[in-house]
Amino acid sequence: MANSILTKISPLWKLPSSTLIQPSRSTTSKHFNPKYKKHRAQKYLKIDLPDTNEDDSKLSPEKMRQKMKERGLMPPRPWMERPFYISATGGVFEGYVPPEGDGKASLVSTTRAKQTVQLLEKKSKSMMAIRKIKSYDEDFDSKEFCNEAQNIYIKAHESLANNDKYALRKYVTEKAYPEFRHNSLLKTIRWKFLDSLEPPRVVHARCTDIVSKENIFAQVTVRFHTRQQLAVYDRFGRLIHGSEIVAKDVLEYIVFEKHLSNLYGTWRIHDKIIPDWAPPKDPSKLTRLKPEPEPVSVVVEEEVEQPAIADK
Amino acid sequence: MNRISPNFCKVELFFNLLKSNLHTTGPQQAWAKSDLPKTFLTFNKKIYPPQEIGEEPRPAFVCHQKTNIKYSPEKLWYVASLVRGMTVDEAIKQLSFVNKKGAVFVKEAILEAQKLAVTEHNVEFKSNLWIAESFSGKGMVIKGIRRHARGRIGEVRYQYSHYFVRLEEGKPPLDYYKRNPLTPQQQLDKWLESMRKRKIINSY
Repeated sequence: MANSILTKISPLWKLPSSTLIQPSRSTTSKHFNPKYKKHRAQKYLKIDLPDTNEDDSKLSPEKMRQKMKERGLMPPRPWMERPFYISATGGVFEGYVPPEGDGKASLVSTTRAKQTVQLLEKKSKSMMAIRKIKSYDEDFDSKEFCNEAQNIYIKAHESLANNDKYALRKYVTEKAYPEFRHNSLLKTIRWKFLDSLEPPRVVHARCTDIVSKENIFAQVTVRFHTRQQLAVYDRFGRLIHGSEIVAKDVLEYIVFEKHLSNLYGTWRIHDKIIPDWAPPKDPSKLTRLKPEPEPVSVVVEEEVEQPAIADK
Repeated sequence: MNRISPNFCKVELFFNLLKSNLHTTGPQQAWAKSDLPKTFLTFNKKIYPPQEIGEEPRPAFVCHQKTNIKYSPEKLWYVASLVRGMTVDEAIKQLSFVNKKGAVFVKEAILEAQKLAVTEHNVEFKSNLWIAESFSGKGMVIKGIRRHARGRIGEVRYQYSHYFVRLEEGKPPLDYYKRNPLTPQQQLDKWLESMRKRKIINSY
């Protein structure tokens, strides 16, 4: 076809000579007589080859249904037969608001002394909640609970550092579990609890019922002022956060939750209250590329030409 | 669909060929096991122990694969071996101008791997990567039919391949293929040394 006379007759053939200096070919194949191509293609049985790298998420549901029908597959079940059980609440009810400047004043000042003596007995709602907890749990005592809470806190962090998922479930509620394990995959975490600067203190307590009146959950906030050491290494053993030597003072308000109505309920870490006045976290050693600024589209106002004659 | 598609494809073709005659169940039905390569990607999950302060930092690496590419594994091998030992930028530059169908897949795989390295494997600079391993493997093969002269039948193989690439952080080695291992001076020294090592047996 490329060399036939018909192409040469067409007016496009009459191009200026400059374009004919560079040798070029209008077809890719050099076959001298390509007239048997169709016959050769007819010898092969046509098969629909599957598209293996097709993206499932980009298919519309109608297309997906069509494909499954072609393959004789049943559609997925539209309802869920699996029952779910609420073993932990979704958040913190009437959270504790830590007073500003808590733990910042120097140890010898009067403000600090006042903060340590803050009695829970003055908070009526918290006392009512603790009374309710005692009605389910006779041996509940605020002071003993503080030590128990600290043990749970230490064990939870240690099981996170050891990547012990089954132990972590015992010390942490279902709501807090993904938050604990977030960003800890494929990393080595070394955490050490050095000591407690102040004894842990119960600062807040609340009881709530979920769905029915008898299904009660208790949430108790404990204040920890401790010294801890944290070092996080990436997959290849390179330090990405913290250090092995430096210890840090940590002031935290941890919410512990227990399912009171459940005979086998235990106190577990549920949430952490981060006050607005908390100091900013250490900057991360990891870097990111700054995203390119979006191009600002300049709207050019077209100047409407005013005609010289008014009626046009 | 991709992870179980080879088996579905075989079911589909089976039906294509025996549409009019038989109503049989295909060789594999719903939720058959996938036979895509998995062991290469397990290297991505290996956690190395933390390094001491004096040790050289371990270079990060990422393993990536592209499965069931509609291309012959032998032809893909040529493209895979072109890219070995190059930096990522150089590899992408070269692959953009290689006149082969496999070059498109290899380039896509390398770009995906680069993105993964930065987001998931803690690689700081995306250009600080080089191609440590790059090879192709055989994927599924779908057999078709063609006719020859004199009523004879021939088999047509529609071949698929897998492509595997491992990017490592840092500078690439000077000569990955060791094309020029010794300079002329080094070759002369080596020859002289071998000449001087000779010993006349049963002598002092």
